[in-house]
Amino acid sequence: MISPSAVDIDREKGNFHFDSQYAFDAGVGLTEQVVRYISEVKSEDPWLLQFRLKALETFLKKPMPTHWATRDLLNIDFDVIRYYLAKGQKPSRSWDEVPEDVKLTFERLGIPEQERKFLAGVEAQFDSEAAYSRMKEDLEKQGVLFVGSTEGLKEHPEIFKKWFGKVIPTSDNKFSALNSAVFSGGSFIYVPPGVKLAQPLQAYFRINAENFGQFERTLIIADEGSEVMYMEGCTAPKFETSTLHSAVVELVALKGAKIQYVTVQNWSNNVFNLVTKRAMAEEEAEVRWIDCNIGSRLTMKYPGVILRGRKARGEVVSIALANDGQHQDTGAKMVHAADETSSNVVSKSISIGTGRSSYRGLVQMPGHLKGCKNNTECDALLINNNSQTDTYPAITVKGDDNSVQHEASVSKVSAEQIFYMQQRGLSEGEAMSLCVNGFVNDLIREFPMEYSVELKRLIDLEMEGSVG
Amino acid sequence: MQTSLPSPSGLSSTMFNDPDFFRSFAERRSWEPGWLADFRKESWEKAQEFSHHSKKNEHWRFSPKSRFSLSRIQEIANPKESLRIDGYSSAESIVCENLDGMILDQPNLISSIPNLLGPQLGAEDIFLWGNCFAESGYYLQAPKSAQITNPITCNFLTPPSGSIVFHKNIVELEPFAEVVLIERVRSANTKEAGTIANLTHIHLGEGAKLHRLLIQECSTDSTHFLFENFHLDRGSSLHTTALHLGSKQTRVESKGNLNGEGADFSYNSLFLGNNQQLFDQRTLQHHSAPHCLSNLLCKNALFGDSRSVFSGLIKVDEAAQHTDAYQTNRNLLLSSSAEANSLPGLEILANEVKCSHGATTSRIDEQELYYLQSRGIPRNTAERMISLGFLTEVIQSIPSDSSKELALKTLEENFDAPSS
Repeated sequence: MISPSAVDIDREKGNFHFDSQYAFDAGVGLTEQVVRYISEVKSEDPWLLQFRLKALETFLKKPMPTHWATRDLLNIDFDVIRYYLAKGQKPSRSWDEVPEDVKLTFERLGIPEQERKFLAGVEAQFDSEAAYSRMKEDLEKQGVLFVGSTEGLKEHPEIFKKWFGKVIPTSDNKFSALNSAVFSGGSFIYVPPGVKLAQPLQAYFRINAENFGQFERTLIIADEGSEVMYMEGCTAPKFETSTLHSAVVELVALKGAKIQYVTVQNWSNNVFNLVTKRAMAEEEAEVRWIDCNIGSRLTMKYPGVILRGRKARGEVVSIALANDGQHQDTGAKMVHAADETSSNVVSKSISIGTGRSSYRGLVQMPGHLKGCKNNTECDALLINNNSQTDTYPAITVKGDDNSVQHEASVSKVSAEQIFYMQQRGLSEGEAMSLCVNGFVNDLIREFPMEYSVELKRLIDLEMEGSVG
Repeated sequence: MQTSLPSPSGLSSTMFNDPDFFRSFAERRSWEPGWLADFRKESWEKAQEFSHHSKKNEHWRFSPKSRFSLSRIQEIANPKESLRIDGYSSAESIVCENLDGMILDQPNLISSIPNLLGPQLGAEDIFLWGNCFAESGYYLQAPKSAQITNPITCNFLTPPSGSIVFHKNIVELEPFAEVVLIERVRSANTKEAGTIANLTHIHLGEGAKLHRLLIQECSTDSTHFLFENFHLDRGSSLHTTALHLGSKQTRVESKGNLNGEGADFSYNSLFLGNNQQLFDQRTLQHHSAPHCLSNLLCKNALFGDSRSVFSGLIKVDEAAQHTDAYQTNRNLLLSSSAEANSLPGLEILANEVKCSHGATTSRIDEQELYYLQSRGIPRNTAERMISLGFLTEVIQSIPSDSSKELALKTLEENFDAPSS
């Protein structure tokens, strides 16, 4: 039905890894020494070390949130995880400087082709440090900063320090505290006032060491009237023991700015993906989270927007696909904190085999506000009779000038539809795949073109063998 | 990823926790059968244990837990004054009696009490205190194929300030029996500020039908707890409509268990909130058998500083294929300080299902108000008219005409009453 095209990525291509000699290795387990070591290796300022140490304390103090979240979290063994290792190299500027084995890994992921196509800048991450970082000259001329977290805080503190850790405070939750203690890598982006980036910025993430968690830290600041789209996609090699990925992503959209953050998450099925993502939208700013979760063992991710300025707008578009042994626990948070703010959440999930997908939502509107609106729609599709889906929204509205509507439905692919297509010569599997693609089609169109093609292909792959 | 939860409150410091208090209570009731004394003791011990549990629980999310504290209660009210049963004559085939008398006269009929579970949606401690200290309640039993169309009315009264009364209510309908039941909860006068806790267990046998109307008009300072657990066998049907009009704070926990194929569970409730009133409702529709239908509607109209919490869950087991389950929560906010919280949830493990929920919260449409105002109706009256219309939907579906009339009349009276 859908013929493979040049931009398709075969998932199996991600299923390999090379032996890497890690120049810096903090060993396994999480102690104060590890945190001090990370900070020392990165030759960070003292304030940042203090920030990390305080975060470690918070992390150790906070209980696992199992009173509402899945008990699978208790299977994470924090003592066998490596919290830091890197090649000890500075992010390189040119392709030639990138080490050969690293290059080979990227080659198989298709990064150079991607770049030739229409990437404005590539920030490819190999383990915890950016191994390759480059920006097109015109971006530099416009004053756009696209750097790693270490470089961002060291070279441009006047820009990044102000917002670092402000949208998501360290103590927000146990995993944001963990990230704050041991973060490395990620992207720090600053777009100056009025600059509208025609092409998206993109970063690739990979996990390439057993028992090794990645703790990227991303901060995007879109100054007044600017526009930026950021894309994040991941594939990971498959390993025997569980791997932890816990990122913190903070977005700041100043007056009239627009940020779109696109994620395609396809970690291998042993990864715990526990991510905190939140945006701050000032007056008339617009933030859109476009999120697709296909991989991982357990994903817990609830992108949020704090609508701080008048007429700010927040949106979450989310697709989740849970196959055997997977739990996609995703959702959205919309905190209205100014008049006439509006938010929209559209979430679609598909559960296949023993897969479980959950939607958790939060909408808040205090009473002193006027003219706030929220719309939430969650639809779930169950493929097999042992699949599971849950919906847990929480809506608080005060005052007589705000409105909220929430709707959720659960259904399966109807036998009539399958029968109709089988009559026209499609196999049952193909028919099912077509139905599922149709179910999420309107959301897939929200993704950039090369992602949407890749997504359709990924869904076809996931659907293989799920029926019959 | 983080969740804001109410902090644990000092529930443990109630008079019920005092072993001496329980001992004197048990001595006073030493004439009771041994199994009941054992059950009370066991409940007391469990409650004691439960009081020490952390209240950091999704079942208390958004709820100002301290408002449901029993710490200010000083005594258990006289059970003889809190329940009167009307519309039942002993000549009929059914039995409807006050538990108070049955414990002595017909203890064998109520021997199932220790096996009756609560809805377990958060306030287990209060439920357990009820198991321990309930001295009254109604027991309604209808034999096979009994048809009782004249409504039986159970009138409850809230106790005086500083005291509490627990009722253990049991409804047992044998196959194909049909009953119309009305429960009214009121206060003798407007000054009463006591606490009333009703623990209601309803079991419908195969094909049985129960139409139940509950009207709660407690005085404005009283506290109302309602714990309901419904068990529906094959082909049975339950229709409950609840009007929550009074009390300062109400906590409702309702669980519908659809155990038999083709059972039909319908639960509609409304809350008219004024002043500082709080309505905290937790529901669970649990489908464990195939081909069942459940439909839950909760409508809240909130004036003044009133506040509502609706937390509902539809749970569909893997075996419950061909389930139709719906849940709707609609909130109308009529003042800038009214607050509505909705937590509509789904947990679906079967794939051949139709399940949906919807939650909306908003104000009255300005154009509707304008329409009425332009016809000379003052804004205040127009708001109340529209709110009344909004809540009336809940009543429209009542199958019994007499119950519907009573519900409508009561609701209208409450709208006429002056509110600040």
